[in-house]
Order: sequence, then C-alpha cells, then structure tokens
Amino acid sequence: MSKQYKGIGEDLWKGRPEKVNAELFALTYGALVVQLIQDYEDYSEVNKQIDKMGYNIGTRLIEDFLAKSGIGRCADFREVGEVVSKVGFKSFLNITPTVTHGAPPPPSSPRPGSTGPSQASVGSSFTLTLDENPLAEFVELPEEVLEGGLWFSNVYCGVIRGALEMVQMQVEANFISDVLRGDETTEIRVKLIKYLEEEVPVGDD
Amino acid sequence: MSHHLFLLSPSDTPLYNLTHHSSKPIANVSSPLSSNLPNWSTSAFAGTLTALSGASSSAHQTSSGTVRMGGGQDRHVIQMIANASLDVIEDLMKTQSTMLLKSVDKFNEWTVSAFITPGNMKFVLLHEGKNDDGIKAFFTDVWELYVKTMLNPFHTAHTPIRSTVFDARVRASAKKHL
Repeated sequence: MSKQYKGIGEDLWKGRPEKVNAELFALTYGALVVQLIQDYEDYSEVNKQIDKMGYNIGTRLIEDFLAKSGIGRCADFREVGEVVSKVGFKSFLNITPTVTHGAPPPPSSPRPGSTGPSQASVGSSFTLTLDENPLAEFVELPEEVLEGGLWFSNVYCGVIRGALEMVQMQVEANFISDVLRGDETTEIRVKLIKYLEEEVPVGDD
Repeated sequence: MSHHLFLLSPSDTPLYNLTHHSSKPIANVSSPLSSNLPNWSTSAFAGTLTALSGASSSAHQTSSGTVRMGGGQDRHVIQMIANASLDVIEDLMKTQSTMLLKSVDKFNEWTVSAFITPGNMKFVLLHEGKNDDGIKAFFTDVWELYVKTMLNPFHTAHTPIRSTVFDARVRASAKKHL
C-alpha cells in the first residue's frame, strides 16, 4: 500500500512544472516569522498566528491535492498518516517525513448506530518525523526566541489541521520537538479528535 | 603563531573578531622590536619582547566587546595601527577588483591580509609569516560561513555576529587552514 503512495507522491512532484527556488521560499518564510515576532512580541501569539496562516493554506491546499492525486477516501486514520507524509509532503515539499503510528485507543463500547470502523480510530494519532525542513534551511534561533517557545515551522501544523478539516476530520497537530530548539529530531504529532458529520446547509428543510 | 581575524562592515563597524593560535611552527623573529616602533606606541608597551610579540595589528577602529584574547596593553597599539591598514585596504579596494588582497600592510613581524566581499565587507587577517594558500582557503571558508549567517532571518545585517555556531565553525576552519 505504502509503496503505491510513494510512487504517487514521486509522480506528483515530478509532474509539477512550476517549482519555486528553495532559498527564496525559506527566506520568504523566515522574513514572515521575524516580522510576526516584531509585530506581536509574544511568542505563543506568534505560534498561534502562524498556525492560523497554515490553517488557511490547508483548507485551500486540500482541493488541489485531491484533484491532482486522485486519492480516494482513507479507510482509517493510519492510512491518513501514510497519505499525508508520503503523498502530501512529498508532492508539495519533496520531503518524506517518517510516520510513526501511535497506539490505537482502548476500545470503548460502541454507541448504538455508530458508523463502521472509522469511529474506532478516534483518539489515535501519528507522528511525523522530519529529517529535513526546507523552511528552516538557514535559520538559527537567537537566545530570547528559544526561551520564548517559538515553534518556527508551526505553519505545517496549521496546514495539516486545515486540510484534514476539509475532509471531515478534526485533528490536533502540534510540534513535539524541533532541531532548531536544540532537540534531536523535528516531530509533529497529529491526533484525531473526531470525525465531523456532514452538516446540512442552513436554509434547507 | 597566532592569527587575528576581524570582520568589518562597510561602515567599518567591527562585527566579529577571533584570535587563533596555530600549532604550526614559524621562523621566530626575536630581534628587538621596540627600536622599530614609533615613539607614540612605546608608551603603550611594558617594553618587553613578550609584550611586543603578543601585540596584534589589525583593522579595529573602536574596541568592540566581542571575543578578545590578546593582552590588555595591545589595544592601544591596535587602535593606532588599525587606521593605517584600513586606509591601505580602502585604497586597494578602489583599484583592484579581486577579492583577496594579499599582504596589504606590514607592521614589524605582522602582516595584514584582507578579503573584500562583493557586499563590501572587509575580512582582515593579521598573521606572521607567509601562508598564502592557507589564508586564501581560510578566507573563502569564512566568506561561506558569513553568507550562511546573513541568510538567517534572525540576523540583522551589519550587526555583531554572536552566533556560537558561526564562532565554532570559524575556529574549526582556522585550525584546518592556518
């Protein structure tokens, strides 16, 4: 299954004729973060804002992604993790973070009338470990930024959250560690909160 | 043998300096140096040879708060000598378009070499003896490290470079080439 996803991701990356210079990309994002820091002066607020920006990107990105990749509905959250890392990250950033699936949540008594196997994976999570981070190519965080608790690449979390929300999954995506902060690895933990039910648009009977 | 490296912005603000003691041997000049010095600088010295050999001539107009390993009495001499070599460098900058300026100035046993980046940053290296290839390689390395530092969004141009990573890498490069 995952071999197939890898192939899809590879093809998507190669198929896109317009690519942007990686240095330009990194410099633009870096300038953005520095400007946000100057504007808000509070690192947790900056984290939130970067996440919001990512969310906006994610809600738009998912349509493009689904159209180009043609991937259907994922059977369970485990598969979501695989697709996000092997197809998603690969096709947009040409990096493939390693996916580590969290332990499945303890089985609770199923509610009467609950839909099939998908409900069982509520509460499960996966962790993406990024070996390389194109956004943080030349970045070195100064002292006060380190102490302030900035997650430099928080935009990834927002993008994942936004994109998955558009496909009816409410998730929580957070950074666990970041090499920019001196940790060993850069890791994002994505946890499924719940599946969103299709809402009837206001005005219909 | 020691080397002193100074990075100066186009407006001659010192951004970084480093003193490196190489383990490579040089032909030691032990002639009395005090006789060569103009009168105004002897007062800054204790008058001993050791003090003189520890003196460094480099391009430093103001004493910066950055890394310093030379003796305290050197500072007076450094500031005096700094202006002289800077003038020579600037003159050469106008005429020569090459980046590496070898041996622009000499003060007793110290030679000053400079490297001018396309962005008009001056890297000034004070050294004893001749080591052209090593110095060229070292300057090129420092240039690369400097460019990487400039690409860091958290670094403001023409401010002192305080990154420990940069410092460590420059020291490693100095050890390798000098």
